[in-house]
Amino acid sequence: MEPTEGIHSTRRLRYVARAGVIWALVIFGKLIYFHVYLHPDLRKAAQDQYSGATEIPAPRGRIYDREGRNLAISVPAESIAINPKLTPDIDIAGEIFAPLLDLDPEQLQERLAWATENRRGFLWIKRRVTPEESAKIRGLKLGWVEYYRDSIRRYPKGALAANLIGSVNHAGAGNSGLELSLDKELSGKPGRATRLLDAQGRTLESTVVKEPRPGQDFGISIDERIQFMADRELATGVRENSCRLGSIVVLNPRTGEILAMSSWPTFDPNAKLEREDDQGARLNQAISAPFEPGSVFKVFTLSAALETTRLSPESLIDCGPGVMTLFGRRIRDIHAYNTIPMEKVLVKSSNIGAIKVGLQVGEERLYEYITRFGFGTRTGIPLPAESPGKLRALKGWQKTSIGSIAMGHELSATSLQLALAVSAIANDGVVPKPRLILWRQEPGSPRKEEPVAEGRRAIGPETAVKMRQMMERVVLEGTGRAARLIGYTAGGKTGSAQIFDPAIRRYTHRYNASFVGFAPIQNPSVVVAVTLNGASRYGGLVAAPVFQRVSTEALRILGVIPDVPPEGSNREAGLTEEEAADLPVADLTAAPAFEEPKMPADVRTALNIPEHDVLPVALGSSEETPIEAAVGSGARADAQPATNFVVGPEIPNFKGKSLRAVLRECSRLKVDLDYSGAGLARWQYPPAGSVLPAGERVRVIFAR
Amino acid sequence: MARYRSVRDLDWPLLLLSVAICLLGILQIFSATYETDFADAWWKQIVWVVLGLLVLWVMSLVDYHYLLDRAPLFYLLSIVTLVVVLVIGTKVFGSRRWIPLFGGLRLQVSEFVKLVIILVAARYLTELRTERLEARDLLKLGALVLVPVALVMKQPDLGTSLTYLAILGIALFLAGLSWRYWLGFCVLAVVLFPLGWSILKDYQKERLFTFVNPSRDPRGAGYQVIQSKIAVGAGGLRGQGVTRGSQTQLRFLPVPHTDFIFSAFGEEHGFIGVVLALGLYFLLLMQIVQNAQTAPDRAGMYVCMGVAALLLFQVLVNVGMVVGRMPITGIPLPLMSYGGSNALSVFAMLGLVNNVRLQRFVN
Repeated sequence: MEPTEGIHSTRRLRYVARAGVIWALVIFGKLIYFHVYLHPDLRKAAQDQYSGATEIPAPRGRIYDREGRNLAISVPAESIAINPKLTPDIDIAGEIFAPLLDLDPEQLQERLAWATENRRGFLWIKRRVTPEESAKIRGLKLGWVEYYRDSIRRYPKGALAANLIGSVNHAGAGNSGLELSLDKELSGKPGRATRLLDAQGRTLESTVVKEPRPGQDFGISIDERIQFMADRELATGVRENSCRLGSIVVLNPRTGEILAMSSWPTFDPNAKLEREDDQGARLNQAISAPFEPGSVFKVFTLSAALETTRLSPESLIDCGPGVMTLFGRRIRDIHAYNTIPMEKVLVKSSNIGAIKVGLQVGEERLYEYITRFGFGTRTGIPLPAESPGKLRALKGWQKTSIGSIAMGHELSATSLQLALAVSAIANDGVVPKPRLILWRQEPGSPRKEEPVAEGRRAIGPETAVKMRQMMERVVLEGTGRAARLIGYTAGGKTGSAQIFDPAIRRYTHRYNASFVGFAPIQNPSVVVAVTLNGASRYGGLVAAPVFQRVSTEALRILGVIPDVPPEGSNREAGLTEEEAADLPVADLTAAPAFEEPKMPADVRTALNIPEHDVLPVALGSSEETPIEAAVGSGARADAQPATNFVVGPEIPNFKGKSLRAVLRECSRLKVDLDYSGAGLARWQYPPAGSVLPAGERVRVIFAR
Repeated sequence: MARYRSVRDLDWPLLLLSVAICLLGILQIFSATYETDFADAWWKQIVWVVLGLLVLWVMSLVDYHYLLDRAPLFYLLSIVTLVVVLVIGTKVFGSRRWIPLFGGLRLQVSEFVKLVIILVAARYLTELRTERLEARDLLKLGALVLVPVALVMKQPDLGTSLTYLAILGIALFLAGLSWRYWLGFCVLAVVLFPLGWSILKDYQKERLFTFVNPSRDPRGAGYQVIQSKIAVGAGGLRGQGVTRGSQTQLRFLPVPHTDFIFSAFGEEHGFIGVVLALGLYFLLLMQIVQNAQTAPDRAGMYVCMGVAALLLFQVLVNVGMVVGRMPITGIPLPLMSYGGSNALSVFAMLGLVNNVRLQRFVN
């Protein structure tokens, strides 16, 4: 065959060649486009997918007490993660991890399935595992498990000052207390590492780009020993009096340094937050839960009177027959004091006396002094969720408000506010700024002392001296006799404000029992505020003994030299040593008041003391303010002076029972029942196992 | 049997060009499988290339007319083997393409069927001896090629079956099939598209979808295209160097030593490397076309052009796939991609071309 034969073919051959060349040019152009034009973008795209950034967590700063003892530390821990793409079988992985790491198998399986479906290259299995857990997993030598440097927050002293120091959440960030308010400083700056990843997300190599910077360390004014003792005494006080809440503040009135701040209920910051309702235990009662201070407030009313009126401690106040009418309202004292010196108004805690003094001071000046003492504004302590308390502006006062406020009602204050206000009396008239942080330290640099903030003068030094003398007498011969210290002089004031229950719109027979005082009288070293919320007895009986124990211990720990011989304090109280033995509160509880005749007269006096201290409020009243509630009251308190101490039927646990069962139980115990709702019993008062105070009804709330 | 003339008569440029391309391929296979389970692939490929050269030598010795005479026999043998593959073939990555041989070696029959189809087409068209192609011939040749196409599609191996069609298409075109028929094909393609669509496997459809829009499923089917583009672009002008390409070395790029060897090559050797490789292919193809032009007869021309068409088709489809201009069909890059069957069949074809060249002075 001749090649010429294929003219057709050669022409067609050229077509094919041309088409091939054109197509080749298109692809060639595309290659130029990629290699040259798109190169920077695609190069970056390549880098993005082979480099992974990991955060290296910074160790959290430590918190020390004033003596340098560890309160919160960070210990190295490991976090365990996997690369789901490399995990051979996620079901088996779940079965391996769940028991060894104490994880919920279903939840873990869900997370694993999710990560696999979404083609994740990374999944935390568990963060901050214990060394034992980590060792167990490492022992299995699984190539697809990754281990990361991390740190775990530890509180070596457990629940000590837990509500003050706070805790951290699962991610290691502060969620309450100082841990929250200083979170930024404590957490430091995390470092960064870049990892070289392959297509499976496997880390081939890791380079630290930036070292983590550890958080700052802090020294706080808390003294671990005093705090421990205060925590213990608060727990005891709360339990013995079946209270729900309570707080103790111990501070140095000269510097405002908080030596201890206890709160009840408390929690273990080392334990994980299990349920939502545990959240309540994280509240710091001393700063976040204002309450009506009641009679404690008479201290400030009288301070104002000493400065703004001609009244002196000796000035006579006519307290009349124990009943007075103020703008149409009747207010009672438990006894008719008739005419007594102003000093006695405080010592006996006369309501009428306080109101009369308050009226002499006048609304404007009373308001001014209350604000000077710091009520109604936050103290500025560096803790989260501080409440300013409630103080109505002057123009919001009703005609009767001055009466209520003079005896500590129609306003609320926190324990810390009360402690600071009393500090003014202990500190020659100056309200100190609260001081919690003593120093801070950046890692690698010297400690930086926190500057001391100037206090604010509330009253003159002479007034402070006079008030100290008056408050000493409260302890020596008044409602605060249970607060007498052994070896030290002390001054203070009791308070018992009935708790208003908004649910039933009534004042209950539970009290905010408080005692705020200082010791020693000359040159006071500590101010202690004790509050037990929901006590069934008065501040003088409940809070004063706690004050006594906490103050004595605190002074001893601080090395303050006793200023009276140990036996002297009891002699001054006018009791023989033999009688003093009967004095402890425990004995008082054991001896019901109606057995009065058997008791020595002195003890009876002691028993009567607290009754004077309470605002007599009628149960039957549905009025909202205490003064209004006081109308026509007192009769019950007079007739049965100590009914609250009566041993009544022990209340069983109703929770989870039906209404029918609860009713049957109540009729068996012969107690009255107040109930609301339907379904099963969810809440009861008083709590199971406690005694129902006479005259009270059992309250049960039902819900489905 | 053809008489062997002299060493000088061998097509040396063809030989050198193909060996050069193979060397680039071996280098890239070495780099792409560096420190992986396939790290020994590069020297295996050397063995294949050497064997391939041996095949080329043998194919040069046998007169192509002798082979053309026995084309029907080869064709029948191919069909039987393809059926056998479907029955007893080894399944890898979900398709049955290989016949297991001794020592773990596997033979991909469909690679060698390409050669047979070239021979069959060349013989059929040569025997026509007419300027114009009749519809009857068209149908006959079409039927002959469509049988192996269907069998290979069944494996499934879309890429190789399309290669057969490409050979058929080029052969028909060169044989002078009227433009009217081409128009008819186009109409037929449009009409039959829905039918063909239903035959395609799900993953094949997915590939076509993602060819149109790779970002449709960047982690799934579009992944390969996206990674391939990134690899090519990341190479830049000069490339990142042997065993230095992040896309290749960190396994972002799928199968960087077989189907995507050109992306890996582009990443590690950059635009300069790509120009070099494509330049070699161009010269190789030109050399084959030159052989076609100087072929002693139409049969020789058809054989050479069949080989050229096939190589061109494979190179363009593979490189087109790498730069996202073609759907991913799993067509290896001839001479570069790792694989024994492919290497042997390409060298066999080149041997055929060489054979045609050696026969040019016969008449």
